[in-house]
Amino acid sequence: MRDHPFWQAILVFIAAWILVRWGIPYVPPLVGISSAPVPTSVELQYMLTVLVGILIWVSDNEVRWKRFKEPIRNVMVQPERKWMRVAFLVAIPLLVAFVTYDTVRPKVTAPVGLRSVHPANPTSITVDGESIILEGLENPFRAEGRGDEAYALGLDIYYQNCMACHGDYLDGQGHYAHGYNPLPLPLRGGGTIAQLTESYVFWRIAKGGAGLPREGQPWNSAMPAWEDFLTVEEMWAVTYFLYEQAGISPRTWEEH
Amino acid sequence: MAAIRFLGLVLVLVTADLAAQQPDTERGRQVYERWCAACHAVDGAGEGPAAGYMLPRPRDFTRGIYQIRTTPGGDIPTDDDIMRMINEGMPGTTMPGWQDQLSRADRQAVLEYIKSFYPPFETMAAPEPIDFGRAPRVSDDRLEEGRIFYDSIECWQCHGDTGRGYGSSAPELEDDWGYPIRAVDLTKNWKFNGGGSVEEIYRRLRTGMDGTPMPSFSDLLDADFMTEDQLWSLAHYVRSLAPDRPPRVREVIRADRVEPGEVPTTVADERWDEVESFYIPLVAQIIVLPRWFDPSVDAVWVQALHDGNEIALRVTWHDRSESPHPNWMQWQERVLEVMEPREGDLDPAPRPDRLAVQFPRSIPSGMERPYFLMGTSDNPVYLWQWSSTDDAEPAQARGMTEIEPLGGSIASDARWEAGRWQVVLTRSLEPEDTSNRLTFERGTAIPIAFYVWDGDNGEEGTRGAISSWYFIYLLEDAPISTYVTPLMAFFLTGGLGLVVVARAQKRERALETASEGPDPTTPTGRNP
Repeated sequence: MRDHPFWQAILVFIAAWILVRWGIPYVPPLVGISSAPVPTSVELQYMLTVLVGILIWVSDNEVRWKRFKEPIRNVMVQPERKWMRVAFLVAIPLLVAFVTYDTVRPKVTAPVGLRSVHPANPTSITVDGESIILEGLENPFRAEGRGDEAYALGLDIYYQNCMACHGDYLDGQGHYAHGYNPLPLPLRGGGTIAQLTESYVFWRIAKGGAGLPREGQPWNSAMPAWEDFLTVEEMWAVTYFLYEQAGISPRTWEEH
Repeated sequence: MAAIRFLGLVLVLVTADLAAQQPDTERGRQVYERWCAACHAVDGAGEGPAAGYMLPRPRDFTRGIYQIRTTPGGDIPTDDDIMRMINEGMPGTTMPGWQDQLSRADRQAVLEYIKSFYPPFETMAAPEPIDFGRAPRVSDDRLEEGRIFYDSIECWQCHGDTGRGYGSSAPELEDDWGYPIRAVDLTKNWKFNGGGSVEEIYRRLRTGMDGTPMPSFSDLLDADFMTEDQLWSLAHYVRSLAPDRPPRVREVIRADRVEPGEVPTTVADERWDEVESFYIPLVAQIIVLPRWFDPSVDAVWVQALHDGNEIALRVTWHDRSESPHPNWMQWQERVLEVMEPREGDLDPAPRPDRLAVQFPRSIPSGMERPYFLMGTSDNPVYLWQWSSTDDAEPAQARGMTEIEPLGGSIASDARWEAGRWQVVLTRSLEPEDTSNRLTFERGTAIPIAFYVWDGDNGEEGTRGAISSWYFIYLLEDAPISTYVTPLMAFFLTGGLGLVVVARAQKRERALETASEGPDPTTPTGRNP
């Protein structure tokens, strides 16, 4: 059986499936590389590719193709395999019927929403009656070397206003975070503000969820427009504080 | 040479070990000031810049009073007790756990630093943890025994008969610092400060929660009023007031379909008991001014039914009082005093409890929904507003501060009982006036959100508890195609299989005939 192309094909198919379903999400973390489960649609694509590959291999040579078909043919024609034949003729249509039912039955599901997490920023914004051009804009505290002052001011502002959602540890796990959808962003790590310039972060703080451009919608974000609460200086201070406290650096304009 | 190297290694190890045992005050101070001082203050007195936004307030470390301990009431905690609070945080408060955030060495350093705010830690003898023994198995008899002690030692004075924290003393409670403190809702054990397992509950009963009105009941053991075993029964009973598992949050509330005219329109209708409950967490409204950082309601449970003509929602939430209640006026005064005036003054006044259920004005296509916080001027939302002192009514909101009634009313029935509100709201699926009011369609996800205000907690207007958008889905009787399509698929596949088999068998017979014939090279059937 071990060198029979039919069973080899099935073995390869199952092995490939195990690799896609469990190998990809769980093996890389063992060597310290982060990974995630493969989405169902991608899994289907992978498995189709594997299936085509297997079919090409088994039909590539006349003898192998004949041997491959043999077990299938045997089940279909041999008198002594009659019960197996009947079992397949019932089981396969049943499986198809079940999959069909599962597809057409009414499901209680929410529509799927996609949104752009970091939509492009406008060229300029108006805060407190003044127009601010974002392109090339630096954090005044950083530019003037007033980091300590910004940190002290930003710490008070952060823990009074931002902590409830973005968390004591800036990890997005504040005590009220669970009530909002989308969840408040973690600020630490390389995925969020580390990829952004301080002027971008300033814009997001000043204008909040309500100030997102169209491509950032649906704007269900609970992020307030902090220009209603804080002065321009306070918003720059808390911007500086976020990077400092999260132990990351902002993207600079030279990198653009 | 090797010996010297070995000696050197031993020396390094010994000094490293000594260093590890020495409290690293400087490191502790750095970690504390970076991660703890915003709430607990640089001087450890618990009045940091963010403290005013929190109730209960952050711990004051200068008095050596700790709630969660393994030591007898009035004693200082063990190092392990403090480490546990640092590691796991305090559920139900603003204190998060730091186990995965700070290194072991940092946590150890900060523990020593915290102790340094209360000098007696150095001079007092190491505290002796109580031997709590092991939890006995739970049984019906034990729960009954626990219930009897719940009554006789008067847990209900603060926690109420049902455990929802609405006892007659509840409005007067204050902590050792004079701040108002809520009697915990025993039916939500996932929010217990010291953990919700039966072992942890037993420990709280034995040690009390210093700094709070929760006493230690060890003296009842000493006085032979009750035995340890009976106290375990009480712990089991308290544990049994909460569900086995914390509720799961699901995004879609399902409204099952019932026979026409069978929609229950009253709170007490027993048919609600059969209807699945959906848990929706609520959080503080801290997005628009004036904000409110201390909402007393943290969740609603929603049940829904429709009959093709009408829809009914039963919304349930825990609330310690039927506002406005005269006994709770002093609570409101005290809460407003410590949480206000932060964003404009609000005077204590008799205020009703309120509920608002929010929908879009029409079902959006795709994910485009009005702004979740009561809409905007160009995309308003449709509300059902209920108040404990008024009829329910439909309204339209263009933001939290611009709510206008639409006229007419929404059928409602409400009851406050034993620390819990239940409100049933009923409306026809199709409104008479469809311009501003939602038409409920079946078989589609309809956005829905909830707001609750606790009047006796000083909540009104923008000060309250909110949810984000969820969905409600009115189940339709499955169309006939749901059953026909799979049946057709079954017969089609089966028929196809039969044809394939029949053909294969025919070919096989042809092959056999051919091989018996004179010319075996004659091609038969299809060439593979």
